[in-house]
Amino acid sequence: MATFDVMPDVRLYQPTTLGDALALADEYRELGWLFGGGQDTYGWLKDRVKRPQALIDLNGVGELRGIEALDSGIEIGAVTTLREILADEVVARDFGLLRDAASRVASPQIRNVGTLGGNLVQDARCWYYRRGLDCYRAGGNICYADGPQAMNREHAVFGASRCVAVSPSDTATALVALDAVMRVKSLDGERLVPAAKFFVGPDRGITRMTALKPGELLVSVKIPDDWAGAKFHFEKVADRNVFDFALVSIASALRLEDGVIDDCRLVLGGVACTPHRLHDVERAATGEIPSETLANQLAEAASQGAQPLNYNHFKIPLMQNLVKKVLRG
Amino acid sequence: MKLPHSRRRFIQGAIASSVATSGCSAQRSANTEAAASEVSTEPLELRINGRSHSCTVPPQETLARTLRDELELTGTKVGCNRGECGTCTVLIDGVPNYACSTLTHSVRGRNVTTIEGLRDADGALHPVQQAFIDELAPQCGFCTPGQVMVAVALLSENPDPSREEVRQALSGNICRCGAYEHYINGVLRAAKTAV
Amino acid sequence: MQDYKHIGKDFVPPDIAGKVTGEGKYTEDIHAEGMVFARLYTSPMPHGRVTRIDTSAIENMKGIVGVLTADDVPAPEVPDPPILTNHPVYLGEPILAVAAEHESIAEAALARIRVDIEPLPFVVDPLDSVVEGGPNARDEGNIFVRFGEGAGFHTVKWTPEQVAEFRAGKEPSGEFLQEWSYGDLEKGFADAEVILEEPFVTAGYPHMSMEPRTAMAYWEGDTCYVYASSQSQSYWMPGLAKLLDIEQDKLVLVSEYTGGGFGSKFAPYPAAALPGWFSKKVGRPVQLHISREQEFYIGSARAGFQGRIKIGFAKNGRVTAADVAIVEDIGPMTASGNTSAAGGAISVVYDPEAMRWRGLPVITNTTPRGAQRGPGQNQIAAVMAPLIDKAARLLGIDRLEIRKLNATDSSTTVYAEQAPVTSAYLEEALTKGAVEFDWANRSAAPRLRGNVVRGLGIGQAYHSTGVTGYDGLVRITPDGVVHLHSGVGNLGTYSYASVTRAAAEVLKCDWEDCVIHHGRTDRHLPWNSSQAGSNTTFTQTRTNYVAAVDAVAKMKSVAAESLGGSADDYEIDGERVFLRANSGRNMTYAAIAQRAIELGGAYSGQNAPEDINGVTRRAVQALSGTGLIGVAKDTLPQNGIIPGLAVAFVEIELDLETGKYNILDYACVAECGTVVHPQGLSAQMIGGAVWGMGMAGLEKHVYDPQNGLPAHVGFNQCRIPTYLDTPPAIRSSAVDLPDPQNPVGARGIGEPAMGCAAAAVMAAISDALDGHTFSRTPVTPDMIVNHVANRAMSFKPLQTNSF
Repeated sequence: MATFDVMPDVRLYQPTTLGDALALADEYRELGWLFGGGQDTYGWLKDRVKRPQALIDLNGVGELRGIEALDSGIEIGAVTTLREILADEVVARDFGLLRDAASRVASPQIRNVGTLGGNLVQDARCWYYRRGLDCYRAGGNICYADGPQAMNREHAVFGASRCVAVSPSDTATALVALDAVMRVKSLDGERLVPAAKFFVGPDRGITRMTALKPGELLVSVKIPDDWAGAKFHFEKVADRNVFDFALVSIASALRLEDGVIDDCRLVLGGVACTPHRLHDVERAATGEIPSETLANQLAEAASQGAQPLNYNHFKIPLMQNLVKKVLRG
Repeated sequence: MKLPHSRRRFIQGAIASSVATSGCSAQRSANTEAAASEVSTEPLELRINGRSHSCTVPPQETLARTLRDELELTGTKVGCNRGECGTCTVLIDGVPNYACSTLTHSVRGRNVTTIEGLRDADGALHPVQQAFIDELAPQCGFCTPGQVMVAVALLSENPDPSREEVRQALSGNICRCGAYEHYINGVLRAAKTAV
Repeated sequence: MQDYKHIGKDFVPPDIAGKVTGEGKYTEDIHAEGMVFARLYTSPMPHGRVTRIDTSAIENMKGIVGVLTADDVPAPEVPDPPILTNHPVYLGEPILAVAAEHESIAEAALARIRVDIEPLPFVVDPLDSVVEGGPNARDEGNIFVRFGEGAGFHTVKWTPEQVAEFRAGKEPSGEFLQEWSYGDLEKGFADAEVILEEPFVTAGYPHMSMEPRTAMAYWEGDTCYVYASSQSQSYWMPGLAKLLDIEQDKLVLVSEYTGGGFGSKFAPYPAAALPGWFSKKVGRPVQLHISREQEFYIGSARAGFQGRIKIGFAKNGRVTAADVAIVEDIGPMTASGNTSAAGGAISVVYDPEAMRWRGLPVITNTTPRGAQRGPGQNQIAAVMAPLIDKAARLLGIDRLEIRKLNATDSSTTVYAEQAPVTSAYLEEALTKGAVEFDWANRSAAPRLRGNVVRGLGIGQAYHSTGVTGYDGLVRITPDGVVHLHSGVGNLGTYSYASVTRAAAEVLKCDWEDCVIHHGRTDRHLPWNSSQAGSNTTFTQTRTNYVAAVDAVAKMKSVAAESLGGSADDYEIDGERVFLRANSGRNMTYAAIAQRAIELGGAYSGQNAPEDINGVTRRAVQALSGTGLIGVAKDTLPQNGIIPGLAVAFVEIELDLETGKYNILDYACVAECGTVVHPQGLSAQMIGGAVWGMGMAGLEKHVYDPQNGLPAHVGFNQCRIPTYLDTPPAIRSSAVDLPDPQNPVGARGIGEPAMGCAAAAVMAAISDALDGHTFSRTPVTPDMIVNHVANRAMSFKPLQTNSF
């Protein structure tokens, strides 16, 4: 078994315009690797698990960076760093949910360079997949994590389809809860993808985590005003309080009118291959007053349909408990 | 006893041969104007600790490797080479970064500060370094340069941090010896002496 | 208390500046001229036999300098670990190495080499090997006893029913190969008011020092220079010379800075010898770079336990009997085992009136195990604390009081032999800790706030902390400089320096003006113990003391020879030797040193004591004629076990809904005799606390039993505690009562510093959960969430190396 530690030979492009970046993305398609902070890039390459021909560094593309106020809401460029998001006053004032989620990503240094786009499109953390095994997600025809004795504490309880990896992104849950919209561009033009549709499960694409097609680039994330100033809750349960990915996380937004839930979003991370929105709980909670009783009533609905693997049934009570924390008020 | 010696002279030949044997001869080449943005192996101007260095760096090389192997700045240690420990932390335009997870070509035109760049003009230690000595903060010392760099960045942004702010700011740096308490005390001591 | 000039005072260790400036050179920072870079090709499977190695694809690669295989290095006697192997017994075991002009070339070559390996049966959980029909991890058997009666390989199998009863925590009827006992166990249990019986698991996990263990070597003539990441210094010489198949006088070991060890580098390991063999083959200096992933594979790990304990308590809380049986995961390389030490620790910390220990060291195809900070003692410390609490609750006794009642003191006898201790003040430590932590008030305070509950815990731990019979060496040169030669390794405790202060104390000189020689064997270092087992402080303050005493005696004799009278008429002070009756008649140390050279003989090292080790003898020979030499073997009286003891008090705040807890406060007390180096002691106590928190809550091996793959390889997966997993502030203090068997009153502490923390946190978790004992380390959030929700655990009883 060869173990590698040095970056492999690879071409590096550092475009400075969006046009050039799109041209490169189009030119290399599956053989190109777009990156911002690169914090989910170098390990893949050093380990020789992924072998792109070209790295396309998007940091020099000014159009992809920055936080801009819109008539309604804000737009955040894909290579805006998490550090910049954490320092932004509008994000703090209106979209504390995103700030709280961003603050729990990895470590300070990773947040210093890690970008919103990178955090959203990062790949699955399944340890079998990361080891470079020939699993479904890697183009093979087996799932190691779903074997009869497989070690799968961190894996999915919802939406498994051959692959049982989960969505690792902290900011993804927040953005789904905020009804964000992803601006996606390619040489063919632009399309807007709602956050809820941006993340795809293995049933729709087992070798990717998002709706991005080869040649496409996540340009920015638009967050509408709908949830500005709502009652937010973000909580991430991980083994360690730095570096680790969520065992289960929750991002929620409640809009209250006279103490009654007028509308709400509850989104779980770490339980499915995509951020997992709790539609049933949201519907049932709407029109209710947050209380211990409501929390206890609705918690079980959160885990309905969950199919645990060998080592992850703890996610069922854990997600119920996180939902309770939101609905308790 | 033979003295430590640069491996620089090996690099040139080595790069040539590893490229030739990389098995990627069928690389696509971008034929649009965008191809102009390809990074070449032309000598690169780096600004490290206030000094300019011109060096030839392959496109994929990490800053940690350039610092250690090309510039012989071995004060930057590499603990995991995967962005999981903070040992290799350096400052880029004053901001802490994992040098193992930074491409050297991405710091062109930016100011890189390493542990070797902290002494003042007279060679005196930075207050953080002195405070770490005073608190006996390092144990094995391997993570220490990274801890120093994060602390220096924190104090330049926030000269009077609370204990909790120090703890948060340093949290991207693992110390297997478990000297966190002593490092935190060191940063607070440095903040006091600087004031 | 004696008035010391240096002992008990802080100082600036000579190597610390290099650490904060980055100027300190760790092995990978050192490049010899013409050096080439080696990388390892390792086993992709947990057990197999290499059938073919095909390197033809790299033969003509530019920049390749050579290939080293198992055929190029001596095969060690089984079961010692080989440098390279054709019969790997764990995933990641080195099979061959490639050297190239550049690391990227070496890596490119590794990718082209073909190694065919025939897979063999493997096992990752000891009980899966012990059960009838289960695989043996090695051809030689599934059990290995390292020392004592029955040493060697064995095959032991239990019936499925016997395994099932063990898993269920029942009295095991399966065969254990190791046993000791003392007292009347039956009577002890008959006298007990409360008897607890529990199965337990403690997870193995890797050392994962910050520095991956790079090594470099070259030859000058027939002398091999080895630069290695080593915990110990002189202690490495015999073993490393043996690995290189050379005489010790043909070996120079350089290890000035080492990026952590924690037991994993106390003795020379095969990877440290590989560059020497490779350099011999290719005729150039060779540096072997170990990646973080490879550090996991070859860097060794703590042994895991699957055990069962039965413990009886009298009505007043006194432990009347303890019966512990432990199946131990010793990995593939037949480590020496931790479980007897675990039994010993119970005997020291809780002093049962009667006790039995049984052990079964089982070989698995997981990463090699080795000593890791309190090997055995700390695992059992974590298991015991919640059980003691359970007994206290059942008996209605305060959790502090039950510990005081059973606490070791200087009259306690310990271990199977019921040996004496040199001194022990565990009750004093508990009392001091309770005051600093304010135990009385805090244990009475309310616990529950919504779904967040506070838990309090007390932990205690022990390790034996000293050995005797090593050598000390000091030297005074004609310029008046005192040279303190330390053969102690530099693993980050600063004990290589602090122990030399005992010599400065005797020589009545300013330690700050002395030159400390360490870090390279060609600086002529004495034979010193390994930097392991918390023993350096006790052991090497003695060696420094005896060497300095020898120097003083020689100085007085030299003075008498020069100024008349007899040696007994002289005294020393102020770096002068003077006539007691007339201090005007005196000689400076400088003059004495000059005169010693002129007089020759033992004064200047022309001859040396018979009983010193060859390592010291060579050092003295090399230094002879350069000054006055003080050299001696430590033959000071020593009787009994030398205990290092520590206690900790902790408060946590546990969220019942997430299974996460914050450690709010932590106060620990060292009981290690006289404090030699206050800051160094605090560093050990607090660093140990962080380790204990990792053991209690985070760190573990996970292996997929289907393919033997380890899941927890990198730093992220190994889950070393971070700043935010440890309390915002940690307090540490010491009992500071001298031990009579050490000339400065000191004992060691590094290991119990960890065990008391693991124990305290385990107890606090249990306390927060109404006394529930998981009896398993680590306790992770998933376990707590499942427990609170009344759900079954995911693992089967006593399952190990799993989630």
